[in-house]
Amino acid sequence: MATPTIWADYRADKAYDEMIAAGGKPRDACASLSQYLQSLGMDAIKGRLSAAEAAIMEMGITFTVYSDEGNIDRAWPFDIIPRLIDFQEWQIVEAGLKQRLKALNCFINDVYNQQQIIKDGLVPADLINSSSNFRKECLGMQPKFGTWANICGSDLVRAGDGKLYVLEDNLRVPSGVSYMIENRVITKRIFPELLENLNILPVDDYPTQLFEMLASLAPDTDDTPQIAVLTPGIYNSAYFEHAFLAQQMGAELVEGGDLLVKDDDCVYMRTIKGLEKVDVIYRRIDDLFLDPEVFHKDSVLGVKGLMRAWKAGNVALANAPGAGVADDKVVYAYVPEMIRYYLNEEPILPNVPTYLCSNPEQCAYVLAHLPELVVKPANESGGYGMLVGPHATQKEIKQFHKLIQDNPRNYIAQPTLALSTCPTLCNDKLEPRHIDLRPFILQGENSFVTAGGLTRVALRAGSLVVNSSQGGGSKDTWIINREQ
Amino acid sequence: MLSRSAERLYWMARYLERTENTARLISATMHLIYDLPYGVELGWRNLLNICGVEEAFYQRFKNPSEQNTTRFLLADMSNQGSLLASLSFARENIRTSRELMPDEAWQQVNEMYLYANNNLDSLSNRRGRALFLQEIMAGCQRFTGFMAGSMSRSDSARFICIGRNLERADMTSRIMDFGTVLLAENRSTKMREYETILWINVLKSLSAVLMYRKHVRNRINGEDVLNFLLKNPDFPRAVVHCIEEITYCIKRLPNATELFPQLEQLEQEILAIEIKQTTPEQLHQVLDGLQAKFDDLHKQIAAMWFLNTLGEAELEKN
Repeated sequence: MATPTIWADYRADKAYDEMIAAGGKPRDACASLSQYLQSLGMDAIKGRLSAAEAAIMEMGITFTVYSDEGNIDRAWPFDIIPRLIDFQEWQIVEAGLKQRLKALNCFINDVYNQQQIIKDGLVPADLINSSSNFRKECLGMQPKFGTWANICGSDLVRAGDGKLYVLEDNLRVPSGVSYMIENRVITKRIFPELLENLNILPVDDYPTQLFEMLASLAPDTDDTPQIAVLTPGIYNSAYFEHAFLAQQMGAELVEGGDLLVKDDDCVYMRTIKGLEKVDVIYRRIDDLFLDPEVFHKDSVLGVKGLMRAWKAGNVALANAPGAGVADDKVVYAYVPEMIRYYLNEEPILPNVPTYLCSNPEQCAYVLAHLPELVVKPANESGGYGMLVGPHATQKEIKQFHKLIQDNPRNYIAQPTLALSTCPTLCNDKLEPRHIDLRPFILQGENSFVTAGGLTRVALRAGSLVVNSSQGGGSKDTWIINREQ
Repeated sequence: MLSRSAERLYWMARYLERTENTARLISATMHLIYDLPYGVELGWRNLLNICGVEEAFYQRFKNPSEQNTTRFLLADMSNQGSLLASLSFARENIRTSRELMPDEAWQQVNEMYLYANNNLDSLSNRRGRALFLQEIMAGCQRFTGFMAGSMSRSDSARFICIGRNLERADMTSRIMDFGTVLLAENRSTKMREYETILWINVLKSLSAVLMYRKHVRNRINGEDVLNFLLKNPDFPRAVVHCIEEITYCIKRLPNATELFPQLEQLEQEILAIEIKQTTPEQLHQVLDGLQAKFDDLHKQIAAMWFLNTLGEAELEKN
């Protein structure tokens, strides 16, 4: 009798599966990986899992969870089975992401200057005025290259039709890129023989690209710019990433207390030599905490006078304050129009169909179809405050009914997508779990897209919530080039 | 270099050195006490005294038994000076300074911390404890070795070096306090019989036996041991050597000139100590005085380069 294959019990019929096609055959790009896993057998795969877990502990790859008992550093939940995307497909995605960020930056720059898109009637004026991420303090600003969102993390999902859709664009302080890089480091440790035989695009040049992008933003281009990563500190859930990126770029990792704005409207950091000027700040602090002089008066995370320095053109902030105006799920619905309007191009990547509750007709539809829709607040991130209709209780549906009626502008709804699945090691066997993908896009003088991105996986069976703060894990993502 | 970073690296080095010293000291004491007969007035209690935690210990325990003492000094998180607490503080400081050091530096300290936490149960028996201490000492040495081989001798390295040597000088001076027991006029005949073994163990706790023998070609005696540990310019754990290392680093840091005379004076004071003409009581006072001076030096370093003590007005001048 033949040994039962590890794929024998794998049932991926609920959604599009990234590795196994209908009929149980592996997809072309995944054939080698699927065979390789088969040749290893389940016991050896479990051995590799232990190795991965040990590596994560030793490398100290953690994220912080806020809880009543204090902040706990948790080991990064990593699934060792990689997710593959064919290079041919990826080239299109990459072009689509660059196109999207370009249009978004045109939009933000327009919003804070001429507001032509509103005058031309494509976007309603109150959409901007009512956005909680619109900062009137930024009106009239023109950051270098017209780029406001220099670092963007867009979430992509593959639906039942096998196509990739953009679910949202994170333009404030998107995180996760360090885990993308660390995931590859772990994979190299546990599956070295596999990486040797396949042509997988490397991911570890991101810090170099980030550094160059940040350097291109420096106000004075003659000197080597002094670049700093501004973190809220060790209790922030993404502190690991802030330290990681600073370390990889050789930049200073600073907290608000390390910086000072003097009467000359320049930003300085407190060093052992005295004060040193800072040219570019990659800030990982939300707008409202940046500068107590302008925003939250009691913020101890920020730097007094930082906005003054930025407005005077003496320091570059990435992302620019106010960039989040386009990180709004209502604005999202208009991105395809923006691409046509600003770039005169057809969008390469499609949006997920979106109902705006601010529109009375669409709102009526949403309220009548709540059990089948996903409802999201316009400005939240991290998967908080969402309703997943098909998984919701009657009580939750009722609650959202009221929430939407009270504040329709604050909600959008989308059809519940059958997010694609990927084989994931659960309970000592491979089971399909829903995934998404967060590539990172940079735009300064030039544009750059990571090779792949961070694949997030909902580890609970059937769950569609992939956020690490809510029980999600991650996978290494391989862009595989099969042309020799 | 950021003032905050300088401070973190300095403390990281101090805590790691303290971790290693505590392991070393307890290891040496274990060896010594296994050798000693009953009736010698030396025991775990002296160790508490050297570590400066006698009072804290007696708030929690009545009996300075081997179990109580070693657990308090190694694994008790309520004791800020315990090995586990030092290692945790070191880890926290290095975790927040990762952008200043090669990745492996963090990984080594993190691994050591995980090892310590996973093996606390083994501390209750002598064999397990010995293995534990060995592993920690080896871990600290791996870290030091790694840094020596891959860290540029930049300001970062200088603050690490200052922290390490200040902590080291302090610990050596504390271990020398053993001498005040060993040289006491009223010490028992038993103790006199075992004197050589006791002095060898003092050297052992600082890994100094071989270097001492090479330097002092004579039978081991208290006066020579104390002189060696205080004034030998070449032995890395001798107090004077530590001060010279600190001086070397400080001279290469910005805005340091103010400190030069004080460092010079400190070194001269140490070299002027005459062990032969000092009674055990006086020795104890001299050592206490040294420790107070190390503390002053620390305060000046903090005022000069660290963030928390920098006044805004002073900064504006620069």
